[in-house]
Amino acid sequence: MSVAPLYVTESGRPLHGVLAEFANPADLVHAAEKVRDAGYTKWDCHSPFPVHGMEDAMGVKRTKLPLMAAVVGLSMACAGFGMQAWMNMDYHMVVQGKPYVAWEAFVPITFEIGILFTAFTTLIGMLALNGLPRHSHPLFSKDRFLACSDDAFFIAIEATDRRFDPAKTRELLRAAGAKSVELVEE
Amino acid sequence: MTTLHPDKITADRLAGRARPATESMHDPVIGDGTLIDDPGVRPPLVLNGRTFGEVTDIVCGYAENAPPRWWLPAFMTAFGIAQLGGLFILYLVITGIGTWGLNNQVDWAWDITNFVFWIGIGHAGTLISAILCLFKQKWRTAINRSAEAMTIFAVICAATFPGIHIGRQWAAWMLFPIPNANQIWPNFRSPLLWDVFAVSTYATVSLLFWYMGMIPDLATLRDRADLRLRKMASGPILLPIVPVRVDAIRAYVYGFLSLGWRFSARHWHRYEVAYLVLAGISTPLVLSVHSIVSFDFATSIVPGWHTTIFPPYFVAGAIFGGFAMVLLLLIPARALYKNFADFVTLRHIENMAKIVLLTGMMVGFAYAMEFFIAWYGGNKFELDVFLQNRAQGPYAWAYWTMISCNVISPQIFWSKKMRTSTIAVFVVAFLVTIGMWFERFVIIVTSLHRAYLPGEWHMFWPTPVDIMIFVGSFGTFLTLFLLFMKFLPVFAISELKAVLPQASPHWDGYGHGHGHGHGHSNHDHSHANHANKEAH
Amino acid sequence: MSSATSGLDTSKFVPGTIVLPDVSNDPALKRENITISGSTPSTMLLGVGLIALVATIVGGAVVSKQHALASFHVGACTALAMSLGGLFFLQATSLTNAGWSATIRRLLENMASLAPICGVLAAITPILDFVVFKGSLFTWMNPEYSSDYLLSKKAIFFTPVFFFGRMGLYLVIWWYLSRVYVARSLEQDRTGDRSLSAKTRFTASWGMILTALSIAFCAFDWLMSFDFRFFSTMWGVYYFAGCAYSGIAALIIITQALRNRGLLKGVVTDEHYHDLGKLQFAFTVFWAYIAFSQYFLIWYSNIPEETAWYVARKQGGWEYLFYTLCFGHFLVPFLVLIFRDVKRKGTALTFMAGWAITMQVLDMIFIVRPMAAINEVEAQMALTNKHIWIDAAGAIAGIAIFFGLFWRVCASRPLVAVHDPRMAEALHHKNYV
Repeated sequence: MSVAPLYVTESGRPLHGVLAEFANPADLVHAAEKVRDAGYTKWDCHSPFPVHGMEDAMGVKRTKLPLMAAVVGLSMACAGFGMQAWMNMDYHMVVQGKPYVAWEAFVPITFEIGILFTAFTTLIGMLALNGLPRHSHPLFSKDRFLACSDDAFFIAIEATDRRFDPAKTRELLRAAGAKSVELVEE
Repeated sequence: MTTLHPDKITADRLAGRARPATESMHDPVIGDGTLIDDPGVRPPLVLNGRTFGEVTDIVCGYAENAPPRWWLPAFMTAFGIAQLGGLFILYLVITGIGTWGLNNQVDWAWDITNFVFWIGIGHAGTLISAILCLFKQKWRTAINRSAEAMTIFAVICAATFPGIHIGRQWAAWMLFPIPNANQIWPNFRSPLLWDVFAVSTYATVSLLFWYMGMIPDLATLRDRADLRLRKMASGPILLPIVPVRVDAIRAYVYGFLSLGWRFSARHWHRYEVAYLVLAGISTPLVLSVHSIVSFDFATSIVPGWHTTIFPPYFVAGAIFGGFAMVLLLLIPARALYKNFADFVTLRHIENMAKIVLLTGMMVGFAYAMEFFIAWYGGNKFELDVFLQNRAQGPYAWAYWTMISCNVISPQIFWSKKMRTSTIAVFVVAFLVTIGMWFERFVIIVTSLHRAYLPGEWHMFWPTPVDIMIFVGSFGTFLTLFLLFMKFLPVFAISELKAVLPQASPHWDGYGHGHGHGHGHSNHDHSHANHANKEAH
Repeated sequence: MSSATSGLDTSKFVPGTIVLPDVSNDPALKRENITISGSTPSTMLLGVGLIALVATIVGGAVVSKQHALASFHVGACTALAMSLGGLFFLQATSLTNAGWSATIRRLLENMASLAPICGVLAAITPILDFVVFKGSLFTWMNPEYSSDYLLSKKAIFFTPVFFFGRMGLYLVIWWYLSRVYVARSLEQDRTGDRSLSAKTRFTASWGMILTALSIAFCAFDWLMSFDFRFFSTMWGVYYFAGCAYSGIAALIIITQALRNRGLLKGVVTDEHYHDLGKLQFAFTVFWAYIAFSQYFLIWYSNIPEETAWYVARKQGGWEYLFYTLCFGHFLVPFLVLIFRDVKRKGTALTFMAGWAITMQVLDMIFIVRPMAAINEVEAQMALTNKHIWIDAAGAIAGIAIFFGLFWRVCASRPLVAVHDPRMAEALHHKNYV
């Protein structure tokens, strides 16, 4: 595996990548398609809200998060059922003429436990796959980037991408309709 | 039709031209402009052609600017009431459950009524977030955040009541399957234990759902505070002696809570999928929680309690009461907060009124079904509970309050004029809230106070402790809600932006304007997409 | 400006209002894409239905008339459930101003228009039982029980005039509602008048109430009253859950059949399948919720007059059917339909839809067939699962007749209501997440 060349800015700090701003969601989607087709892999779009159709435009594969959640949820539901059965076997109580292990009566708690762990897996899994929580990120050093939480749209391409070239990448973004393109230091 | 599009407004804003004050429209047919009933038109979800930036400014403004003048007195009053309720709870814990009006016959009364009342209210938030999300009802974006907040606060109020009702509150941990020196386990065949799991799961999952939805908006608040700090345009210093700027605290707290969210599209993808998964599991969760609450009653053989329709009937009632509470909170907020009505339009009110009508009739269907089957089943005691006791007995006034508030009062919503009059909707929502409290009172007390043997018959009347703890729970609820209104994003900012017409990548309003978002350009574009993918 | 947008008073539009364009000229909506030529499948299906019906009658003649009658009723109630499911979804999508469903609206209307016919099918059993067999299944019709204490309590409900009068009322309700919806829709095909959709929306608002009440009471009359002692407030909701469940399944099957013939290209897409699959999944869970709640509350309370119903179904071989429903009606489809790819793939989804209808049949068998045992009409009938072919014949009769008629109705008019005001949204519908 080839290692991408390391770029350094004039101030001597390593280069994180380039950041290009776009005017609106449409421009962002079109530019994303171009960057995708140019073969970049370590890049990302930033928008104040999820833009519809962005996954296709960026070529992002569908996440495996639902599968994770389902697996954990179903196994914890089974474990929850097992817990109830075992505890009622371990400590015998004759109530309501029901058998010690009455599956009907265990359904509510089995279900609730399954849901509880599915929810935790979903949230924690989403954060983990996203690499969050994260204390800081080079992009935050740009004042303009903070407008992304307001009404600005960006594409950021990282310098560690194999196809990254300071000049060509910037040119690509400009040709894709960027309002402005700037370098971001590490 | 170019005036329909916000691009001119954006241009004005960028050029520093102030927007002319927008008078809200009062057209008898279309109200504020959103009440068009033409099936060929989709009315706007956000009024006044707001831009992305304006949405951010308005919503963040609620959390950043000084609160309205009424806020502090309102907060102090609510907080005082909550404290008073707290004192009465303390008195109850010290003295014992006998300070309530409970007796041997009516051993569940106000406490469980209040519990079911609050937990029912706590269902609307997750319903709005989850079920309306699955049904792609985009109007939910304006109300989901506050409804979810309301859910959590209502669940907090609800959880108090069974918590203090257990008598020896310090032994509450024994409800959970925790290994202990007595080597005993909880009885998993008991409906009351299912409640423990259901309510605690519901509280946890609702909190996760609410929090996850807020992460991007907290990041917005963080970035704004951070930007002000960087530009040294930060707000005031906290206290004269503490050299910390308010914005520094904001940047820290919101920054901590937003977990470093940076609005990345790859993150958004997983976020949206996660949101959908949470919506998917929350929907059966909402149904299950109130169903399990209804199992507390319906698994018994008490006449009036044991009936199989209880689970869906309780769920419908919960949605009914929950939406009424959302309306009770949002209609005043709409009047009191600036620009609030841009997001919660008359159409939102109308939609909620329709849901209140629908669920009110579902509840009415269940009342009728109960009555019918009580007769059809041929069980003397069952029929007596309904016909003799509920409808004509000493608590008949409560029964008829319930019927008139829950079944009759929402019927005025057949009229569009009533559905779109905020005052009428507010009044009905108020009546429904009363009616739903009485519904639980009727179910619990009228079934218990007259059992099979007349010798056991007994009435229930509340004591001041009963009343004050209930009043206190309203104080707690309002305190928390007012804090929410002040410190957190009241609307889902990113979701509101996503439903603006200009959020669609196919929106062609920037250059030239025609209102439709789904023209042929859309079609062509998706073809281009496919071609691209194949090439890729 | 096209016809759907002309005549709109745009002066009252506030910023952000979206005017949906008229797309009736869209190439996807061209005539040959949305019309069936020939009704061979319909004739074949009706032929199958007729053969199955004859087989059922033969079964009644040589084996057991109760068995044959019950089997026919199973088929009829399944067919009725599917058509009422169509009526429900038609009104629900209209009430919620749904956009995505515009392309399948006509199919829903066609299903709904079968409700009165299926209602007549389901009414045959009680009429036959009353007139010819004197209460061999519906025990309250049986003179032997006329002095029963419980029956005397509810005698008014089972007065023949009232009972059959109610039945007539259901048929009138379904006939009237479906006729109004279909007539308006066909008028819209001709005139392109948007306001007809608004009128339908209003009719659906009170139509939904009538639908809810008629479903609940027809379920009481046609399914619950087999055993007049049993009662459950959930019963109407239970049958409704089956209606929605099998209705969506029937819709999926017919859509796939049409797509297999090269029709509806670009009209009903994988995106629509995805949504139909989600509804199928949702109602799988909803049915499970309702069925479990009903069973569970009766099981837990253990009150004799209710429990007898389930006791009869958890012994004598019926317990296998009970567990089959637990797994087949809920667990298996739950675990399969949870996958996104299954919902988006026509063949897989159609398989699951066929599975769903099979389960609806088993559910009806579970309700209807053991009745005879509880009613002690023919004690050995509960204990034997011999002659399953009669059950199969009865079920196939109902289902084949339903689909045969469905196809016939589909062939009689365009498959898509091209002038639906929200057609633009439906054609470009996409599930983004």
